[in-house]
Amino acid sequence: MADQLVGILACSGEECLGGTLSRLATRRVMEVLRPNRAVTLCLPLYIAGGGEERNFAKAYPVITIEGCSKHCATCATEKFSGQVHDIVDVAAILGAEVALSKTVSGRDLTEAHQDMVKIISRAICAKMDAIV
Amino acid sequence: MSKVKVIPCSGIGKVYGLMAREAALTVTERLDPDATETVCLAQLVTGTDEAIAKVKGLPCITVDGCPSLCAAKSVEAAGGLVKQQYRSMDEMRFHKGKHAGTATTLTEEGWQIVDQFAVKIAQRADELHKEETANG
Ligand code: SF4
Ligand code: SF4
Repeated sequence: MADQLVGILACSGEECLGGTLSRLATRRVMEVLRPNRAVTLCLPLYIAGGGEERNFAKAYPVITIEGCSKHCATCATEKFSGQVHDIVDVAAILGAEVALSKTVSGRDLTEAHQDMVKIISRAICAKMDAIV
Repeated sequence: MSKVKVIPCSGIGKVYGLMAREAALTVTERLDPDATETVCLAQLVTGTDEAIAKVKGLPCITVDGCPSLCAAKSVEAAGGLVKQQYRSMDEMRFHKGKHAGTATTLTEEGWQIVDQFAVKIAQRADELHKEETANG
């Protein structure tokens, strides 16, 4: 089903560049690349929210976007909601050194960062498109 | 002496989550990097021992986007001492008629709001840091 909605959950980690990239790539998929196929959720709502949020991984096949190899979005989703369908790991794609480098504010993003966002967002789309 | 943790929700669906994230990063990266630091909230949500060790029993300021208070609740669940809660949505009361941006990018007005918000958070963080230092 090409119109199958897919849940995209970014870790949005605050401590390193990988977290920022996970979030920006997710936004790019939602707004530009697959606007009608992607749904997302604020990850910490698993703890703060009610039952509705916890059904997220049951309602949609979920792809988690992780800033580093700790895979926090996957761990949180599998703890509170259900199995994750696939994982996009920024560190595995760009290398741990890049992913774990100093976090970057939106005001300091460079063209190189934007290129990284494009690479990660394309990786997300490839995994989305493999869900039929 | 441990640094004061400034932890945003980084909510991804609305501008308020982005404002919370950017305000927290402005405090920890620009205004007061010596006395403050941030922690990946998603790691706290996992509840692993490694994550809990980052906040348990330590002074924290949470910066949420909306009344769901995800950061405050997650930090409390992980054993952090939430000494102050903020919500970026509340800041808009002081900036009526301004457009802060979207969940992806902030407008110039949005950055101004974030910068003022960050100064407020940094002042509180400084007070907490001084209290901690005085209490040893
Ligand atoms: S996966 Fe890495 S970057 Fe993302 S929240 Fe966890 S520790 Fe932070
Ligand atoms: S506090 Fe609001 S904006 Fe922030 S993560 Fe929770 S639901 Fe999203």
